[in-house]
Order: sequence, then C-alpha cells, then structure tokens
Amino acid sequence: MPDQAELLPGTLDLLILKAISLGDVHGYGVLLRIEQISGGALTIQQGALYPALYRLEHQGLIESEWGKSENNRRAKYYRLTRAGRRRLGEEEAGWNRLVEAIGAVLRARPQEL
Amino acid sequence: MRVPGSSALSGLLARLGSLWSGVFRRADVEAEMREEFRHHIALRTEDLIRHGLPPAEAARRARIEFGHIESHRENACAARGLRLFDRLGVSWLDVKLGIRMLAKYPWLSLVSVAGMAVAIAIGAGGFGIIHALMDAPLPLDEGERVVSLQNSDATNPGSPDRHALHDFLLWREQLGSVRDLSAFTDDVRMLAIPGGGGGLVEVARMTASGFRVARVAPVLGRPLLDEDEREGAPPVIVIAYEEWQGRFGGDSAIIGRTVRLDDAVHTVVGVMPEGFRFPVDHRYWVPLRLDPAADEVGGGPEIWMFGRLADGVSLEQAQAELTTIGRRMATAHPATHERLRPWIRPYTHAFVGVDSPARAWEYRAVQIGLSLLLIVVAVNVAALVYARTAARTGEIAVRTALGASRRRVVTQLFTEALVLSLAAAVIGLAIAEVGFEWIRALATREVGELPFWIDLRLSPVLVAYVLGLAILAGVIVGVVPPLQATGRSVQGSLQRLSSRGSGMQLGRTWTALIVTQVAIAVAALPYALYGAGRFARSAAAVPDYPVDEFVHASFSIAGGAVPAAPDAANEAAIAARFAASAAELLRRIEAEPAVAGGAFASHYPGSEPVGQIEVEGAGTRSSAWFNEVDVDLFTVFDVPVLAGRGFVQADAARGANTAIVDRVFAERVLGDGNVIGRRVRRVERGEDGTGEVEAGPWLEIVGVVPAFTPPPPFESAAPKLYQPLALADARAPLHLGIRMRRGAAPAAFVGRLREAAHAADPALRFVDLGTASQEERGRREGLLALALLIAAVTASVLLLSAAGIYAMMSFTVATRRREIGIRAALGADPRRILTGIFRRAARQLGAGVLAGLVLAEAGMRVAGGSWLRGEGAHHLPIVAAIMVAIGLLAALGPARRGLAVQPAEVLHEE
Repeated sequence: MPDQAELLPGTLDLLILKAISLGDVHGYGVLLRIEQISGGALTIQQGALYPALYRLEHQGLIESEWGKSENNRRAKYYRLTRAGRRRLGEEEAGWNRLVEAIGAVLRARPQEL
Repeated sequence: MRVPGSSALSGLLARLGSLWSGVFRRADVEAEMREEFRHHIALRTEDLIRHGLPPAEAARRARIEFGHIESHRENACAARGLRLFDRLGVSWLDVKLGIRMLAKYPWLSLVSVAGMAVAIAIGAGGFGIIHALMDAPLPLDEGERVVSLQNSDATNPGSPDRHALHDFLLWREQLGSVRDLSAFTDDVRMLAIPGGGGGLVEVARMTASGFRVARVAPVLGRPLLDEDEREGAPPVIVIAYEEWQGRFGGDSAIIGRTVRLDDAVHTVVGVMPEGFRFPVDHRYWVPLRLDPAADEVGGGPEIWMFGRLADGVSLEQAQAELTTIGRRMATAHPATHERLRPWIRPYTHAFVGVDSPARAWEYRAVQIGLSLLLIVVAVNVAALVYARTAARTGEIAVRTALGASRRRVVTQLFTEALVLSLAAAVIGLAIAEVGFEWIRALATREVGELPFWIDLRLSPVLVAYVLGLAILAGVIVGVVPPLQATGRSVQGSLQRLSSRGSGMQLGRTWTALIVTQVAIAVAALPYALYGAGRFARSAAAVPDYPVDEFVHASFSIAGGAVPAAPDAANEAAIAARFAASAAELLRRIEAEPAVAGGAFASHYPGSEPVGQIEVEGAGTRSSAWFNEVDVDLFTVFDVPVLAGRGFVQADAARGANTAIVDRVFAERVLGDGNVIGRRVRRVERGEDGTGEVEAGPWLEIVGVVPAFTPPPPFESAAPKLYQPLALADARAPLHLGIRMRRGAAPAAFVGRLREAAHAADPALRFVDLGTASQEERGRREGLLALALLIAAVTASVLLLSAAGIYAMMSFTVATRRREIGIRAALGADPRRILTGIFRRAARQLGAGVLAGLVLAEAGMRVAGGSWLRGEGAHHLPIVAAIMVAIGLLAALGPARRGLAVQPAEVLHEE
C-alpha cells in the first residue's frame, strides 16, 4: 500500500470533474477511479463526496441520469456538461501553472538568484 | 459575435432548475439521495466481502465508513442551495395553500394582483428601457472594455464639443490607457451601383482602427486598413452583409466591384458578417481621413471617438490620464479648451444622451423612482391582506396551539403572499413585453434602425429584477401582517376566538393608516387625473390645416461644407451657402409637378418654442409661442387672414419689424378690440445670469390668423406670434413644409425630396424627414400612451386605495359588532348607535381629506404656484368625495349587521 497523500484544500472538485470526464460513472465509481488512478495515494472521504457531487450538479458542471450498474442495480450516473468541461480545462491549467511555479521555486539554486 | 455571459446564464439556469426540483420535488429528491447512498453502501459491502470479510461485518464496516446518512443528506441539501428553504420550511403544500387562498378571496386577489401587476409592469418597463440604454452589454468580444471619449463643455454639460480633430490626434499619440483610439463621422451619401440601383445611404467614415476595436472579421475580403486613410490611397468601401445580399444580390464577385459614393468611385474591399452594425447602425464604411493642417485647434469635422481600455486599466485610471492630458491642452489652447473637460465612459452612453454624470444619475433616479411605485402599491395590498389575516386569527391561534411555530405560520402566510405577487409579476411582465413591442414599433417608425446593442425585450436580467420586486412585494404583503397577527399569546387569541371576535386590536395604527391612505389619495390622484385628461385632450386635438397633404423636413448643412477660414468668416460663409442651398432646394421642389407649394419656418407649425412678450403701453409681460415663417406660409398651409393682411415680401427685409398673431394671442394677450397696428416686443432673460432683461425691437401687428395647430399639453391655448423669415439670416436646422397636390401621396415624395436636396447641395443634411400625418400620428399616439399609462396607474392606485379604505373601515366597524349588538340589546336608540359609528368614520375620513388638501397645496407651492385655485379645483373635490363615499359605504354594511344582531345571541356569545 503506497503512502497516503494529503488532499490539498480546493482540489476535490478538480479530481471529481477529472474522474467523471473519463467516462460516465456513479458516486462510488468516482471514489474508486480516483483511488485507482492515484495508485491508492489519494482517498476521498466518503462523507465529502456527495455534497461535492450535488454542488457541482447544482452549478451545472455535471448532470446525472439513473441507469443500471454493473451488478444490475439502479444507480445514478454522472457525466460532464459543456460548462463542466470548460471548468475542468481552466482548473487543469491553473493547477499546472501552480505546479510549475512551486517546482521552479523548489528547484532554485543559490547561484541562480 | 460572442453572446456575452452565456456560461453565466447556463449556470444560473442550472441553479434555478436545481432549486426548483429541490423545492417542488423535495420528497423525490430526498428519496433519490437515500437510494444513491444505499447503492454506495451496497457496492462497498460487496468490495469488502471480496476482500475476505464476512457479509455481516462487511455491511457494518461499509456503514461505518460511509458515516451518518442524515448528516450527508443535510450537507447535500445545503450544497444544492436548499438550506435557506429548510430553515424557512417552505414546502409545496404552502404554495398550494397560497393558490387556494387566491381562489377563496377572488375579489381581494383580483384587486391585489391587478394593482401589483400594473406597478410591476411600470417598474419593469422603466428598468428595461433604462437598462437597455445604459447597462446593456455591447455584443462584441469584451464589449464592456469598449469606451467612448469626448470633450464635455463645462459651461454646458449637455452638449459635448465634437470638433475634436486635434484632441483626437493628440490622445491617439499620448493616451496609453486606451488602445486603438478611433473616430467616426456620420454621413449621408448618394450611392450609385453601376448597372442600376442605389440611393441615399448612411455611411460611417471611420478610422481603420475601429474594426480592430470591434474585433469582428469580415466574411469576405478585408476590413479597412490604416493604409486606406493615407492621402492619395484609392477610395475603398466595406459593406454590410444585408446590403450585399439586398442591393448587390449576393454577388459572389463583390470584392473588387466598384460603386460611386457621390462623385467618387470606391472599390468594395470587404463584406462584414450578418448583423454587424458597428459603430451604431451603419451598413457602409469608408476610411476617415483626418488632415490636422486643414483645421485650427477646435475646428474640423464633428467626430465621435472610441477605443478599448488597455489590459488591466480601469475606467477611472483612464479618466485620470485623460484629465491630465486635457489640462495640458487647456493650458496650451485656453481660448478653445479652457471650458472643455475630456470624459471617458462606457461606449453606449455617448449615443443615448448620457452626456454628463448628472444625467446618468437622473436616469438612475427614474429607475429607482419607478421601482418605489411598487412599494406604495404593496403597502396598500398589505393593508388588504392585513384585514384578511385578521379574519384568520382564529385559524392561526389553533395552529399555534397545536404546535406550529411562529416562524412556520409566518412562512406559510409569506408563501401565500408570494403566490399573489408572483402571479402579479407574470402578468406585469406580459404587460411590459406588450409595451416593449409597442415602443420597438414606434421607434422603428420614428427613428429608423435602433443602435445595434439595444435589444428592448424581456432579458434574464429584467426577469431577475422583476422576481426581486415580486419577492420584495411578497415580504411587505406577507411578512408584516402575519408578524403582528402572531405576536401575541396563544391563550389570549384562543379566548378571543371562543368569543367569536377578531383577535387583532388595531386602534391607533388602523386610524393612522386610514387617514394616511385617504390623504395620499386626495393629494396625489387629482394631479394624475388632471395630467391624464390633459394628455388625452391634447391627443384628441387635430390641426386645422390639411395635414395629410404635407411632407415635413428639417435640415442643416455639414460643418465642412465650406473651406476652412477664421471663425466669423467661416460662419458667414456657411450661413450664405445654407441660405443659397435652401433656396435652391425649394426652387427644385416647387418645380415638381406633384408639389403644390413649399414654405420654410424656423419651427414646424405646432412645435414652436415659448417665450415672453411685452405689449406697448401695457407694461405687463405674458407667455407666447414664437415662429419665423416664410411670407407665403399661411397661403401654403391654407390659413386665412382674419384681420389686417398677410405677410408680403417687404416684411422680410431687415428693419420691417412686422408680425402676425393668431386669434388666441389677440384675445388673451392684447384683449378685445382692434389689434392691427398695436406693437409688442419679445423680452428674454440675458445669458449672463443676472436676470437682466434683453428686449427685442417693437413689432407692429399687421394681421390676425386663426390658431391652426393644437396647443401643447398642459396649455389650454397657446398665443402665437409669427415673424417673417429672412432666409439669409436663417439658422439651421430649418423646417420645410411641402404641400402636395391632391392625389399625390406625400409618402411617395420623401425619396424624391432626398434626391432633390442632394442635387441642390450634397452638403445638406436632413435632421428629420417624413410626412406630416405620420408625425401627427406619432404625436397623438405618444400623448395617448402617456394618458393611458397615467390612467392605468391612477386607476390601480384608486382601486387599491378604495379597497384598502373599504377593508379598513369595514374591519374597524366589524370589531365593534358585539359592542353594537350589546348596546342595541340594552335598548339604545339604533339611530344614535349609527350616528356614533358614522361620526367616528367621518372623523377619520375628514382628517384624511384635510391632510390631503394640505399636502396637495404644499406640493404645489414647492412647485411654484397654487394649483388648488386653478383647474385642480375640479378634480380635488371629486377624488375627496369618492374616498369619503367609499369610507362611509364601508362603515354602513358592518354597522347594519351589528344592529341586526339579536340581543339573546350576543348575550349567549358573552
């Protein structure tokens, strides 16, 4: 089991949007997908998941539809809306800028100053 | 072109949809949440079983990991924005109850909804128009960063100085906070398309940078380029998509084709996309060539300047920089620039008359004032609902006793009021849309195409505003009365309920409300009635000349019509050319077979300005309306001379000093008797602000004509004085009345008139052009609409006031029903009891009428005059009598019911 990483504040929405962008998925699937992609490093608190999903749906970034799950149960599937895709793009760009900036700071050497 | 705020709109719609299902499908939404949670736990349980846990342990672990379902549900509801509704406890049941209440009290509902709908329609109409004028986003990429620039005149803030050629060039060089500073001028040119077609068209002469500001690419060819502005560059033109499709038949080889604008051949180099009308309502664009050497500072053509704010620069920062440059310019050129203040503002403001910050505030004040009207109406409705709530005190007490919290009761009553105000909002919006449609049709007819950004219809912002108004009205109507109704002990309410009385003791509050209500109605409604009557009467008045046979044109001459010269010489040269061109135009028109005659006037008959007149020997001054007219105007307009003579050519000579007056002038200003030969003179306040009077020369009256145009609204008659017009001294714009021969349609002549003007002098510019009957219809419809608007508002306020007073009086007497019954049972004289009731009602109504009279008189004194002694004397007693009658009628019913009570029944109740 790899080391668990702390989820940075404000990144939950980004992770959920990304997980849903990979294909229509139900709530539990979102959790599994994030865990699986991060190699188990990121675990979402189950209590935080549904408020975040409903908030994103309320904002029109994702939409839902009832369907059948893999075990033939009725399940609610989420998918990204056009506004959600746009938001994901913006959030990704913002995140990359942040990573690059922090990376640049951390790579800095005294002679570069 | 980009649709601004489309993502914000889709986000708003998503939120509204989510809230809607959260409120109206609450049970379904919560059931779905629980099902989703159960599904989650089931899947987790299966996973744990796959990892080797026994089923029971796996289920237990899954539930523990998931956490407390109820708190997840609450958090999820909060995430959907439903927490507020949870706190308030609004439910679909409350809404259904509200709808039932509407049906249960149909008259109350009808009166309340009608009153609020009219108020909401007026508020929405005013908001919509002012929003469209001032706040509508420019439908261009980052349109909110496009700005207008101008030199405001500090001594006359309403009329900006647009002769800003040198300022423009300086600003373009020095102003860093505005990018792509551009300019355009409006021009009317004769378009000729080889092979046929063409006509007069409006052309924007614009700097090429204007296309960079718009950020819209052509669909064919290219936009204007900086090179096109250079001296000696071949003339080019860019055309609108609609013109390409219309006049040029969608020719696929349009690029490179040549057209003539006036005498110059232009090559078509581009076609703009459909709907592109930048900078205002233009369809043709040619380069604007500016030559600073040709004009002095403060001279040159009239230009409109605009640009884009540089990245990261605010309007205030740009203004600060512009002000600094403006100060330097004022120091360098004090003669022309000392009074000028450069001003930068949102692009659209320059084209809708927002010429100064004060004007912007005036618009806002109107917007707020119209919204306040709803508050007045809502307070009235609140008084009505108060009476209904009072009748339901028993129901409220029982519900409270059964455990309903005060908040719950208030929420339910608020929801009922909200249903009422939302119904009014829907109707109000529908009325506003009908009004917008009417204004759109009127504007298209009167001014042609509207600026491309003005879209007068129900926008999401307007709907949100109306919803806000409806909620505000709901709060006034639905929160205040229930708060008072529920603010007392349950036991007391129940006791009162058991004795079948109403629980609400209102006393002084009620009396104050009745008095205020009557006072406001008596003070305000007569003014409204008077205004509506005046407008209606003015709309019904018809001119006494053959309007249907006339074409009306007003025109001026382009500033650059003569070569540049020092100011005085330049003005004289322009005036001379204007006079010559106007005379030539009239000559050409009168040569047309369809034309019976034409005459110039400084103002078109019926739209004269008012001034002061002094009669020789009388020493008094009075108001009169002035016009300078061609010597044969009365002949062309078929106006007979009643006494003396008409004008002759010699009257137009300088120093002749003759005048003709109309009959109203003769009767009102000069009094009866022979007026021919009497002398009058115009007096005006000097422009130095000291109040000194400047008097014109004495004018000898040589003739009397009838009043042949209706007086302006609010004037029972307008005394008019006509002086002969000398074309050489005429100022632009000059008005021209053209009478067509019988059988010739004036409307068909309008196009011909444009061509005649162009042939007479291409520099002539029409300010206004149309048939007199069309203008007359516009005037009548405008006045009638105003009259109807005032009548609708008055009717709704009167209706609400009457209903409010009725409800309050009726309720006051109803609360005394038992007392009346007991007194009757004890043998009191019924007449005495009735007198007592009416005395009290009459005292309240009398106090209201008196307060209203004082208010009306005070209002009039503030406005400068005592209207009570004028025409208002007729309206005031009518309104006062209506209010008193309503109040007494309202007292009558319950009083009679009180007297009819059987003593035994009352004693039994006790």
